[in-house]
This record gives sequence, C-alpha cells and structure tokens, in this order.
Amino acid sequence: MKITELIEKTGWKVLAGDPAASPDAEGVYCGDLLSWVMGNGEPGQVWITVQVHLNVVAVAMLREFSCLVIADGAEPAPQMLEKAADEGLTVLASDMPVYETAVMLREAGI
Amino acid sequence: MFYDLHMHSCLSPCAEDEMTPNNICGMALVKGLELIAVTDHNSVKQLPAVAKVAAGMGLKMLYGCELETAEEVHVLGLFAKLDDAMSMQDWIDSVMPAIPNDVDYFGKQEIMDENDRLTGTEPRLLLVSLEASLEETIDAIHSHGGRAVLAHVLDRVNSVTRQLGFIPPGLDYDGLEVKSLEQKSRVLETHSWITEDSTEWFIDSDAHRLGDISEPENYMRDSVFRKLWGDSL
Repeated sequence: MKITELIEKTGWKVLAGDPAASPDAEGVYCGDLLSWVMGNGEPGQVWITVQVHLNVVAVAMLREFSCLVIADGAEPAPQMLEKAADEGLTVLASDMPVYETAVMLREAGI
Repeated sequence: MFYDLHMHSCLSPCAEDEMTPNNICGMALVKGLELIAVTDHNSVKQLPAVAKVAAGMGLKMLYGCELETAEEVHVLGLFAKLDDAMSMQDWIDSVMPAIPNDVDYFGKQEIMDENDRLTGTEPRLLLVSLEASLEETIDAIHSHGGRAVLAHVLDRVNSVTRQLGFIPPGLDYDGLEVKSLEQKSRVLETHSWITEDSTEWFIDSDAHRLGDISEPENYMRDSVFRKLWGDSL
C-alpha cells in the first residue's frame, strides 16, 4: 500500500518526510526496544513505536522500513524529525495507543 | 587507585538490607579498594551518611547516583563534591513520576545515618524512568558539576545498546562502563566512532550485596581521576 493512501485512510499527521516518495508498506512491526527492532524488523514494514530518540531514525533506515508511526501521542524532539527529513524517512503521528494504531493499519488493509 | 564506582545501598529497593553505609565502606576497605562510589537508583539521599563513614575510614569517595532516562537507559552521575551531588536531588524530583513504592513487591528504600541507624524511607518508587531524555540527563549531570558514565553498556537490561540499539555518535558522555575487557573489545568492534582513547572506560561491580563489591582488580590512574574530577581527593 502507498503511504499516501495510508494517510488518507487513517488521517495521521505527517511530521517529517515525503509520503509520496516512501516505499510501499508491506506489513507492520511494533517495538520500542531498538536492539530488538534492529534484530527482527523487515524491509517495507510500517514501524509503530513510542520511542522518540534520535537513534530511531538510524534503526528505521537500517531495517529499510517503509515509514515510522509515532504512537500514543509521544512527542519526538525536533532533532529527530530533522534527521528523518534529511534521511528521507516519513514520520507519521498517531494519537492512539500502539495496539489501536496497529488495528487501524490492519483495517486499512495492511 | 583500585576502584569500584557502581554499587547500591539499602536505599535502592533491589539491594540487600546489609548494604548499609558502614558495611559498604568496611567491605570496600577489607577488599582493598581505595576509591568507591555509591550510586542508588534515582536518589542521592544516602550519600551524606556514606560520606561521613568513608571519611572516617580514610576511604576515597565519589558521590553518585544511577539515573534512569526516559528511554530506560541507566546513566551514572559521579560528583567530586557532596554538595554538587546533593543538588541533583531537586532536578531528580522535578522529573521523577511520583509512584508510591510497594515495599512487599519492590523492597525497602531505607535512608540511614553514619551509625547505620534508620533515619527515614523514600516513599516514592525509585525504580522508575525519569521524564528526561538521555541527552537531557547527561546535560543535568554536567550542569550540576558531575561526570556522566553510561552504565553497563552491553547489559541485556537498561543499557544504552539494549534500549537504543547502539551508543549514539556525538553523545556527550564522559565514560563507558563495561563488565570486562572482552566487553570493551566488543564495544570498540561494533562502534567505529568510539576508540580506546575517545572516552574513559570503567569496570564496576553494580553490587547489590556486600560480597559482590569488586575485588582490587580495576585500577584507575591518578591522571584519569584528575582529568575527570580535578584535585578533589
């Protein structure tokens, strides 16, 4: 699924990046322990997390995730969003908790 | 100097009751250590008593705490001056969620005097993550005159590598704590931006009971101490 289509369906806000240029979403990964995500995430997944440290961007690029969804209203620091923009990583914001956010992705067809 | 800069007193709920100021300092002396730091979770309230006991025994001491950041990374704040360390408590209070301690589940959080007499308890649970990022926590340690050491960096729990995947390049820490020289080699192998000389390295016990306090195996050169903490000893 295109990320632009995903945004239409969920109404999530774009915090950084260009959704039109993002890789298509294929699956979902949820996790906040970055060492774990580094070891288990797969390319093309939409990554849902409440972790907002700068390292999140590096992990997302390493795993070639489709885009990042910051869930539960967690607030990323400006440096993280700047880094994501520099790297071309799309960052979306969901006000819902992680579980509900994941359910929304399923209902959107991912 | 043989040192051990990471151990918990009976103020930390996870530490044994035997970790009183006199027992800690006495054991450190018996073991042949010359420099210690007591580093309770998110609190400096045991330090005045430990400082008096250590001074009475002729044991050198840094004044410490082990802070848990919003990312659940553990960072040691190590101060040369007791007053500087004590001034951290206001900052900790400003970012610590007030969750009551469940003594039966987590353990006691006891504050003692220099005679190991109970003078108070900490009612708020200390095993919590502060509402401050890793960077903000390091900044707070520095602005209060201390040095920041990333604790047990390769541990499976509450380490920077576990929580954040790797040690962030450009992070303004003063030292890295490992459990062995083998761990130090692994950190160097996996972090191209860290070199042997780019930071200071510490091997500490993280003792929660008396027997686990380090043997005199880890030596710090005076020049390293002076570089980080000045001529305070």
